Amino acid sequence: MMTTKTTQNGAIGLAIDDAKIATLTLQHASGANKVDGAFGAALNEAVTWLGQQKNLSGVIIASAHKDWSVGADLEMLYKARDAAAFFENVRQLQQVYRALETCGAPVAAALTGSALGGGFELALSCHYRVALADGRIKLGLPEVLLGVIPGAGGTQRLPRLLGFQAAADIILQGKSLRPDKAKAAGLVHELKDSAEAVIAACREWIKANPKATQPWDAKGFKFPAPRPGSEQARDMLLVGAAMLHKKTAGAYRAPEAAIRAVAEGAHLDFDRALEVEARHFVKLVVGDQSKDMMRALWFHKNAADKQQDLPKTDTADFTKIGMLGAGMMGAAIAWSCAERGYQVVLKDIKQESLDAGYAHCKALTETRCKHLDQAQRDQILARITPTLELGKLEGCDLIIEAVFEDPELKRRVIEETQGLLAANGVWASNTSALPISDQAKAAKDPQRFIGLHFFSPVEKMPLLEIIAGEKTDDETIARCLNFCKRIKKTPIVVGDGYGFYTTRVFFSFILEGAQLIIDGQPPALIEWAARAAGMPVGPLQVFDEITLSLVTHALPQAKKYVGDRLPQQACEMVEKMVAEGRAGRAAGAGFYDYKSGRRDGLWSKLAAFASGSAATKTTEEIGERLLLAQAVEAVRCVEDGVIKRYRDADVGGIFGVGFAPNRGGPLSYLDRLGIDNAVQKLEALAKTCGPRFTPPKLLVEMAKSGRRFYDAV
Amino acid sequence: MADAYIFDAVRTPRGIGKSKGALYTVRPTDLLTTSLRALQERNGFDTAEVEDIVIGCVTQTGEQGTCIARFAGLEAGYHFRAPGMTVNRFCASGLQAVNQAAASVAAGWSDLVVAGGVESMSRVRMGSDVGAMFDPAAQWRVGSVPQGISADLLATLRGITREQADAFAAESQALAAAAQQAGRFDKSVIPVRDECGLAILERDEYLRPGTTAEGLAKLNPSFQMMGEQFAVDALTRRTYPHIDRINHIHTAGNSSGIVDGAASVLIGSLEKGKALGLKPRARVRAAVSTGDEPVLMLAGPLPATRLALKKAKMALADIDLFEVNEAFAGVALTFMQEFDVTRDKINVDGGAIALGHPLGATGAVLLGTLIDALEARNLSTGLVTLCIGGGMGTATIVERV
Repeated sequence: MMTTKTTQNGAIGLAIDDAKIATLTLQHASGANKVDGAFGAALNEAVTWLGQQKNLSGVIIASAHKDWSVGADLEMLYKARDAAAFFENVRQLQQVYRALETCGAPVAAALTGSALGGGFELALSCHYRVALADGRIKLGLPEVLLGVIPGAGGTQRLPRLLGFQAAADIILQGKSLRPDKAKAAGLVHELKDSAEAVIAACREWIKANPKATQPWDAKGFKFPAPRPGSEQARDMLLVGAAMLHKKTAGAYRAPEAAIRAVAEGAHLDFDRALEVEARHFVKLVVGDQSKDMMRALWFHKNAADKQQDLPKTDTADFTKIGMLGAGMMGAAIAWSCAERGYQVVLKDIKQESLDAGYAHCKALTETRCKHLDQAQRDQILARITPTLELGKLEGCDLIIEAVFEDPELKRRVIEETQGLLAANGVWASNTSALPISDQAKAAKDPQRFIGLHFFSPVEKMPLLEIIAGEKTDDETIARCLNFCKRIKKTPIVVGDGYGFYTTRVFFSFILEGAQLIIDGQPPALIEWAARAAGMPVGPLQVFDEITLSLVTHALPQAKKYVGDRLPQQACEMVEKMVAEGRAGRAAGAGFYDYKSGRRDGLWSKLAAFASGSAATKTTEEIGERLLLAQAVEAVRCVEDGVIKRYRDADVGGIFGVGFAPNRGGPLSYLDRLGIDNAVQKLEALAKTCGPRFTPPKLLVEMAKSGRRFYDAV
Repeated sequence: MADAYIFDAVRTPRGIGKSKGALYTVRPTDLLTTSLRALQERNGFDTAEVEDIVIGCVTQTGEQGTCIARFAGLEAGYHFRAPGMTVNRFCASGLQAVNQAAASVAAGWSDLVVAGGVESMSRVRMGSDVGAMFDPAAQWRVGSVPQGISADLLATLRGITREQADAFAAESQALAAAAQQAGRFDKSVIPVRDECGLAILERDEYLRPGTTAEGLAKLNPSFQMMGEQFAVDALTRRTYPHIDRINHIHTAGNSSGIVDGAASVLIGSLEKGKALGLKPRARVRAAVSTGDEPVLMLAGPLPATRLALKKAKMALADIDLFEVNEAFAGVALTFMQEFDVTRDKINVDGGAIALGHPLGATGAVLLGTLIDALEARNLSTGLVTLCIGGGMGTATIVERV
């Protein structure tokens, strides 16, 4: 006879059967099992209820939703600023989890859906974990990706379960694992093929293990080697700290706190170790960095992915796509479309380029479709038709060009191919800079002419910058947004103008990096300062990657449109370097030297380009200048109407061109500096560095009226 | 303020600090008792008159834990009224012990103190006390790297090359071998014996006579893998952001040797010496420690030397001989570069590259070496200094009397 009821707030179902096995069913009213106040209260009530059951033989934690538990309610974390109050909440939740794992009966997690963050920590508080073998399920601790660490025991349970190294790998990288990988990593004990089998396995395990406890509560528990406090542990932590510093340049608080929580808690009694974790967690949650990261990387990113406030249409997007140009970019776009089920005609004018492009598609299928069988891989390639013939483009309902960035060439291919489009077909330019409205002058149907700016490498970069020309209609934008969703890119929809949004911000960054050399700053310092400010890669290294010649080719156009805002000396330096054969990594020499394709240190003669003899600046000063150079350009894009939604500036900045994610994007960065303060800094920079730093009117007005881009948190 | 006098200094020979080393079978306490006993026997003072035994020791764990100064004093047969204190200022601990003893005498608060140091690196592994230095929190707040990385960073910043380091190291070997052969260490080196009186080690054993710079050039850098593969170099960029590549020049051949050893120094007031019939060998003119940037760490001898000279109201030219601990060749070369000191004035009987660096003992060893060298050459004034973990420096100026 099954007794069933729910907790007072309904968030957890409570049932107990004749075998005295209780089932707690997670059924948060929101439809997703969030870890929030309601959940905490419900779990507390559930654990109390468990204590009242006579002869309880075991507990299964199950889910009524698709997920098992998605983790902390980020709205709640985002708003938390009161350390004392939040600390109390965290400790309470930790104690409820602790009460569950010490309830005296074996507790099994029936992981029929994803368990992430605080949700996965609940699973770690169970004695046994059985997961559904479904590749869509994710298990792990992604907290550091949003600027925090696990705060419900994850930094204490995982190292005691797996040891320092394996635990740190998961926590520091914010890894989420598929069930099979999670099993291999020791995060789950068993995999089953159906939800019923998962529950059955939990029951069986309960029957076989009536005395189950957590390893750390068992007598004679030994921390997996190396032992906390040992030389080996010290060495491992030192190297861990060093590796992290090399990767982050000290720009990220969360992974540092994660190492500390793991290291400092490992020595302690379990209950007090949780307190150590809570203190580190709370400091991150109430701090600025996690707010900025959550805003951009979670709220704005999700809004962009859901295409909130963007044109919508019920019209199907496209079926047959024509791709002009089979270079690296064109081939990768073609492949990305084919991989998502589109028919693609890959057109080039040279057989060898076409062959190379098709080979690239093949290689991508091999490296990126390891989860597919040969027949499925063959199907992807079969959807790509490589051709030299224009006629094969007949009937395409989307043509994307990825030809050389030359307005005349672009005009010619538009004229050549637009007649081949199907009725209502869309013509898209994958340009990184040339204004769409100018190009659209050659188009018969400028309302169905659009910019689709992909980022290289296409298969990895998550962003698609969609540029509406003056005449582009909403239906075309909406169809491209449907296309964007299908190829799983995050869209930003921006207005027209040279460089649109991302290229303007990106050029500001790399040219400022070059200009700093002219100003006499040590190149190695420039690179480090950029990374210490949060940029994933230094400006000179990026410059080499994209090739200096890409920039010098763009300069005539750029000068035409942007003029005096370009740092003139930096442009001349780059032109000189290209002339000397130092066009970047591909040329085997650029800002860096290369030895068999690998970076081999900064070019020793860079300092010779310095014309100033400015005193060496601090890491912070240079980092700030590099961020402000981008942020001020982002504000100009807002002012120019290129940016229509603030979120696009931050999402586009971070996911398109790598603006410091720790700052939450350029506009979040300005908010955090304080608009007034930012204006003062920009004015000072404009005096010493030139008009590219002049604060835009918009920003000056915002400072005067005390406005910000986003509500303060 | 009274003056502190050094009446005598003795030391054990330095044994190779590995299981193949002669002193591996000897407890650290016995290393220290060897020098403590010799000091008493040579000078004949009543150990009940000793007002403190201050001993430097770095790795104070295992056999070197629980205040080895106190128990070595008691085991050596010193009167229980002579108390003991163990001090840790990393590599300068032995000199710090001397300085502390001298300071107490100079203050008039002590009249007779034994100072010294001990380290059995073969039995108590360097770093086995784990500690605060490499704690993750220290990394985020301070940045600290293993000394070898700092040594290579120092060389990089100063433009010191591998060739210069190897040449210096080869000369250190040659000078030490010559000094040993000429018997210049015999006066102060006390053989370590077993309980039957059989000699276990009579002379420093780490030396490699005949070492050439060409031979040293073949050795692999010791800290390159740690610095590059294990990313430890990156930790220095918090403080030295413009150094994107550290030149890893230091090897086992141009860095100090890992050895076992102990040393003891008798320090007191002139009056107490007279009363006990002791003849002073030198007077302490200055005794200082300084703090400097902790990531670079090993430039500490520079500010320490400046401060010592200032306190002694002396100029660099007043110093006849220098002992700068050869923790790494780059440290001694930096010192020479900074102060324009010629090779004939520094580490004239070789240094730790040839003879070894028994961490906690070295400072006291070098003080004795310096006084011996001044006496042998009939010179007057010397300065001893050591670089120290965490960016510190300790220096002492002595003047023969």
